[in-house]
Amino acid sequence: MCLCTLVPKDKMIQFTDVSKNYDEDVVLKDITFFIDKGDLAYITGPSGVGKTTLLKLIYCAERPDKGQLTVAGWDIKDLKQRTIPFLRRNVGIVFQDFRLLFNKTVFDNIAIALRIHNMHPKEIKEDVNEVLKDVKLQHKSNIYPNHLSGGEQQRVVIARAMVSKPTVLLADEPTGNLDADNAKIIMNLFREINARGTTVLVATHNESLFHGTGRKVMYLRDNMIEKETVG
Amino acid sequence: MRVLIYALQTAFQSLWHEKWVNFLTILSISVSLLILSAFVTITLNVDSILTKWAKSFGLVVYLNEDLKKEAEETIKDFFQQDSDIIEVKYITKDRALMELKQMLGADAPILDDIGENPLPSSFELKLKGELLKPAIVKQKAYEIEQMSGVEEVQYGEKWLSSLNTASRIMKLSASFLGISIFIAIIFITYNTIKIFFYRRKEEIETLKLLGATRTFIRLPFLIEGLFIGVLGGIIGSLALFGTLSFITIKGAEFLPSIKAIMILLPVQIYVFIPLVGATMSVIGSFFAVGKIRY
Repeated sequence: MCLCTLVPKDKMIQFTDVSKNYDEDVVLKDITFFIDKGDLAYITGPSGVGKTTLLKLIYCAERPDKGQLTVAGWDIKDLKQRTIPFLRRNVGIVFQDFRLLFNKTVFDNIAIALRIHNMHPKEIKEDVNEVLKDVKLQHKSNIYPNHLSGGEQQRVVIARAMVSKPTVLLADEPTGNLDADNAKIIMNLFREINARGTTVLVATHNESLFHGTGRKVMYLRDNMIEKETVG
Repeated sequence: MRVLIYALQTAFQSLWHEKWVNFLTILSISVSLLILSAFVTITLNVDSILTKWAKSFGLVVYLNEDLKKEAEETIKDFFQQDSDIIEVKYITKDRALMELKQMLGADAPILDDIGENPLPSSFELKLKGELLKPAIVKQKAYEIEQMSGVEEVQYGEKWLSSLNTASRIMKLSASFLGISIFIAIIFITYNTIKIFFYRRKEEIETLKLLGATRTFIRLPFLIEGLFIGVLGGIIGSLALFGTLSFITIKGAEFLPSIKAIMILLPVQIYVFIPLVGATMSVIGSFFAVGKIRY
């Protein structure tokens, strides 16, 4: 046995007995799992089971009602309001509804993530152009998002999430509105991002995305983790 | 610094993009500040007239009939050494009679029937401008009246009181109007920035999720409010300058002495007005953006 398997890896995301309710409705109950640093993992389950809420807990848009949650070393439950932006700068998010700024060009949509990081304009230009090449949209730099197809818009969102080189990347139903070809392109992008060292967690109800990948998959059912397998 | 540059760019883009709403806001602020500064000008001028009137105000101290020359001199010395009194004028019995005759004009011969001069010698005292308050003057008159050799002290008590009340009402009205207009400017900017904030709510939510700090989100709105206030103030200043120039030039055609009478505002006021606009607008913008929660 290789010695390296005996050494515990750093846990990038760790849920311990986490519960979340919306008023009387239980959304997540006693969730316990972890994702190691540098992993690419999936969370799956039917619609409305709490996948989006689980991701929201990770980027602190929601707080756990019970349990312990750490992300990249940050304790989410006790995180102060003024510290949240600094956590989010380490977490790239690919939103289900894209959240693109339609009054800004593709370039500016991506650059805003770096402006938030207070980066120099020259560096911003270089990094945005580089990431645009990665998502194969360099020729659409000056286009406004409403002139892009769904797949292209999704690639802009991924570019925006990865441009600041986050330690964790979260994707909420990233292929929900895409055809099979575009879905494949998007999933390949996540693998590339993961290969560069970013921990990636994809929430999806589409089981074909993780079948045969050999990656960790967590099944959510009845607001709990039903099973944890390898895809 | 880069955040500031980004905030400036965003603020200017919004100023241009929402130019009509911004134009109306700037115009409202200009008119508000013009009304306020016009009222301040009127108050200053009325106050100046009241002060000029007050300068002619004096206390008349009538001396006892049988007072000796030495005693009169002692009283005069006392008045001259009193730091509250800026002018002492001695009026002899004969001078008083002569002045009365001049006043009576054609009716002056009736005084001849009286025979002996019935008028007492007196002092006319002028007090320092800042002491011309009814209560202070009353106290001073009382103190002088207690002096040996003084028969009576007379002064225009009601006149002084009316002048004082008029001046106080003008100043109070200016203060009230000033506070009202400051609050109005805060509300005008508050409403405008609140509209912009709601229009950009989606964008702000996205910025928050991307890790933007409160300063990063707030700054463009505060800068936009600042520019609205400054521009409103500058236009208000220019309008005030134009109006006052027009009044003095055109007014001089009908009333040539207007230039000598009218007090113009000091140059600093024209700088102060945009500063007031800016401060009130930034306060309005700050409240409009409110507390940012993640």
